Amino acid sequence: MKMKISAFVRKLPTWVKALCLTILGAALIALPIVYPKSYVMGVMCRIFMYMILAGSLNVINGYSGQFNIGHAGFYCIGAYTEAILATKVGLSFWIALPLGGVMAAVIGLLVATPTLKLRGTYLAIVTLGASEIIRLVALNWEGLTGGPIGIKGIPSPVLLGFKISKSIHYYYIFLALAALFFFVTYRIINSRIGRAWLSIREDELAARSLGVETRFYKAINFMYGAFWAGIAGAAFAPYFKFISSDMFSLDEGFNILSMVIIGGQGTLLGPAVGSIIVNFLTEFLRPISQFRLVVYALLIIVMMWLRPQGLVGASNSILAGKKIGGNLSRRGKGGAAVARAGGR
Amino acid sequence: MERGKIRRLLVLGLLMAVSVFVAFAAGPVKTYKFGVMAPITGTNAEYGKGFQIATKMAVDEINAKGEIKIELVVKDSKGDPKESADIARQFGDDASIMAIVGDFTSSSCMAAAPIVDEAGIVLLSPTASNPNYASMSKFAFSVMGRQDGEAPFFSTYLLKKYAGAKDIGVIWVNSDWGKSSHDNLVAQAKKDGLNVVSDVNYIADEKDFSASIAKLRRGKPDHIVILDQGAVPTIINQIAQAGWNDVKITTLGPGTSQQIISLCGKNAEGLLLTTPFFFDENSKSDMAWYNTFYKAAGFYPTVHPACAYDCVYLLEAAIKNSGDKVTRESIRSNLQNYKGFSGLTGPIVFNPDGDIFRKYLIVAVENGKFVKKTNFDFAK
Amino acid sequence: MDYYLSQVINGICQGSIYALMAIGYSVVVGVVGLVTFTHGEVIMLGAFAAYFAFQFFGNNLILGIIASFSASAFIGIFVYKICYERFFDAPRHISLLLTIGVSMLLKNLTQILIGPNNMPLLGVVPNKFFGIGLVGVTLVQIIVIVTVISLSLLLFLLFNKTRWGIMLRAVSQDKKAAALMGINVKVTSMLGNCIGSGLGGIAGMLLAIYYQTLIATMGGSAGIKAFSASVLGGLTDIPSAALGGLSLGIIENLGITFASASFRDIFAFIFLLLVLLIKPEGFARKRGVRP
Repeated sequence: MKMKISAFVRKLPTWVKALCLTILGAALIALPIVYPKSYVMGVMCRIFMYMILAGSLNVINGYSGQFNIGHAGFYCIGAYTEAILATKVGLSFWIALPLGGVMAAVIGLLVATPTLKLRGTYLAIVTLGASEIIRLVALNWEGLTGGPIGIKGIPSPVLLGFKISKSIHYYYIFLALAALFFFVTYRIINSRIGRAWLSIREDELAARSLGVETRFYKAINFMYGAFWAGIAGAAFAPYFKFISSDMFSLDEGFNILSMVIIGGQGTLLGPAVGSIIVNFLTEFLRPISQFRLVVYALLIIVMMWLRPQGLVGASNSILAGKKIGGNLSRRGKGGAAVARAGGR
Repeated sequence: MERGKIRRLLVLGLLMAVSVFVAFAAGPVKTYKFGVMAPITGTNAEYGKGFQIATKMAVDEINAKGEIKIELVVKDSKGDPKESADIARQFGDDASIMAIVGDFTSSSCMAAAPIVDEAGIVLLSPTASNPNYASMSKFAFSVMGRQDGEAPFFSTYLLKKYAGAKDIGVIWVNSDWGKSSHDNLVAQAKKDGLNVVSDVNYIADEKDFSASIAKLRRGKPDHIVILDQGAVPTIINQIAQAGWNDVKITTLGPGTSQQIISLCGKNAEGLLLTTPFFFDENSKSDMAWYNTFYKAAGFYPTVHPACAYDCVYLLEAAIKNSGDKVTRESIRSNLQNYKGFSGLTGPIVFNPDGDIFRKYLIVAVENGKFVKKTNFDFAK
Repeated sequence: MDYYLSQVINGICQGSIYALMAIGYSVVVGVVGLVTFTHGEVIMLGAFAAYFAFQFFGNNLILGIIASFSASAFIGIFVYKICYERFFDAPRHISLLLTIGVSMLLKNLTQILIGPNNMPLLGVVPNKFFGIGLVGVTLVQIIVIVTVISLSLLLFLLFNKTRWGIMLRAVSQDKKAAALMGINVKVTSMLGNCIGSGLGGIAGMLLAIYYQTLIATMGGSAGIKAFSASVLGGLTDIPSAALGGLSLGIIENLGITFASASFRDIFAFIFLLLVLLIKPEGFARKRGVRP
């Protein structure tokens, strides 16, 4: 599949892109008014939340090439922070939300710092271990997290005296958060920081030799990704009104990872597409729900074989890997980067 | 046409007209839809399937009577509280669904409770036992019996009064159910003057209990209490494997699960447990239900599917008492206020929160079978 | 005192099973040169193969070993073809993500085909206890430890005294040089993968016999333990992996002694993180392929 979707999209004139975004925005805002079924609202809320989760994971995996498979841990921290602050201290949702993100970012820094010098797969295992430790601590620290019983009765957010409890209201909150996430991430990707991340992804050694402070940027990257995962968790806690540690297991982490892999790594659109596809599949496959995970596994395998960067992922990058079939030709855009990578 | 044929046509037409008239006069049988939310897949699949089969048994019986017709819409919550919340939303949204039977675990029910509260639809759980669940919403109900009822009964009546225990060792699963049971049990044990000499816990997927058993043994208890469901046979076997033969084993949680007998064999001889309900071999109706369930399911029922069966009948009673206007709210208020219901699992009257306090039986394993050792009036 | 001793004995027994899992893992990663997530599922499938062998042909341990080894080795071929064969020169994350996908696939297919519940496995080894009071060993523990030691010896002989062993070691050190020496790298890597997987399968059988139960989801934590233990040997060194396994088992059991079994997995992860942070290459003496 040689569709260079990202290249095509990039070449469109700006006014076309702006128009499309406006139309999309208007449609999304109008949707609950036109079609207010609570079930649809529930699915859309999930899609938006996973866009943020998959998107933040993509920032770490797809933009700086670090390998994080323990994203559920940061999600867990954000959710518990909000829940604990709201139930025990009585903090308003609007303050607890960013605090959830900040807490997750702090933990992200703790995880990232000692591991900055670790190679790809070792980092992956460390993130896996960290995610599980976070979950196990949440399971066992009864005094703080309620232990296996979890935290219930998380209060609804109040906006200017108006209590937000129906899924229609939450729809707008999640829509706003997702839009904010994409906007901020878009600006950062296209800034100096984003370019540093890209250079680290393609060839860390070369980046360092060009004067890029790789450790600093890798740490920032990790914290940024963790921050948004925490925000997603903190936003979801009052929506569910009840959280417990088994909602943040390794399987949840793999769920988020599969959205990034299937939808695409290294582009903004990729995780959004991934979230939509995977959540739609969840609904369609409800009748044969046992096979749902089998379908995801097969999709991951097929995707890695045919198009490693995902459906709308970054094609001109190391994420796209080498051509299948043992083609030893070193020519072509991806070739140079891959040649250097192959020498590792 | 011939005369004969015209006459026959006229008679046929008349008959049809009459039957249509009669049908309309009698009124069509009203159909009501209930949602069923259960973990058909996942760790608790056995119980989810049990719900599915038991509720179907009840519905088939009710439909056969011909007074009302019930239709079940079954959805798999996979034992995941997030799924339960979603499914509750779907059911709440569907105006044709009058009430929901489910879920299995307290966490799933507690995740769904705020949603059914908002949607105004009854969530009747056969098995949620967390004392905090039913108070979350006036639409949240459970028939299982609160954990802060069974655990204290276990301590006072089984351990102290029946078994004469002095030093007990508790091994419990660190889940919401396990923790709640453990805390209630230990609190009551202290009041009863029992010595808790060892107290170990483990998380739900644990397989190797040798370390925990050694820890348990260190305190030299005369009775062990196992608080869990699925892992109980494994723990009993590993206790035997460790050569620890001079201790008495009791358990709270699995009920009279056939799994214990089939998996533990001789190791389960003399096991004591409590259950709110027991399929009495001497009761014809109990055995009839037991065998019908086995034929449909391929495994023997415990108290859990029996509760699901009773839930459907409770809802049927609520519908009947609603008279002409059956709404979600009428089902709720009739369920809450109904006195005098007696189902397969015994009498059920809801307390103001929406759950019930059950009475319990003490059962022992003798010669590879469950034998009832006390009656409901053992607890005074 | 005998309480702690009995916990140490528990630790040694569990540690031997972990050691076997770690040895299998090191063989795979050493020879193939790529890190894998599938070892847990391979272990699980070996356990189920032994389970079915016991169901149909009676409680014959040797048969169980043959069944679990063959089943896992066979799955190893399948894993090799999907995840490794075409990706030796590709960026590492591709084969790693493929192994994650295959592990999800195997786990969920098994849950669908065999069922998600705990399957009991009783009485394969009779309940005999040798010792006094708390301290002693059970027959099962003796069998586990003996099996692991014999298999390690066999592996040692294979690697050091046979021609195949030399080829395996050559491929694990440098694929290109081995190819230049006329070794068929593809076949040898696959062989290494299969041997490592087969050992994992036997470890699975031992887990099932020791715990007397098995379940389709047992692969997850087994895989993590195997990885944690073999990290001690830089993922490729076999004796260090065995040592890692033993220490992990003992640390876990002593940890449970002082804290609670709910923390069991936390110990494994902390052990792993400490090793990774202090000395990521482990105690490996040979400078093999670094994954």
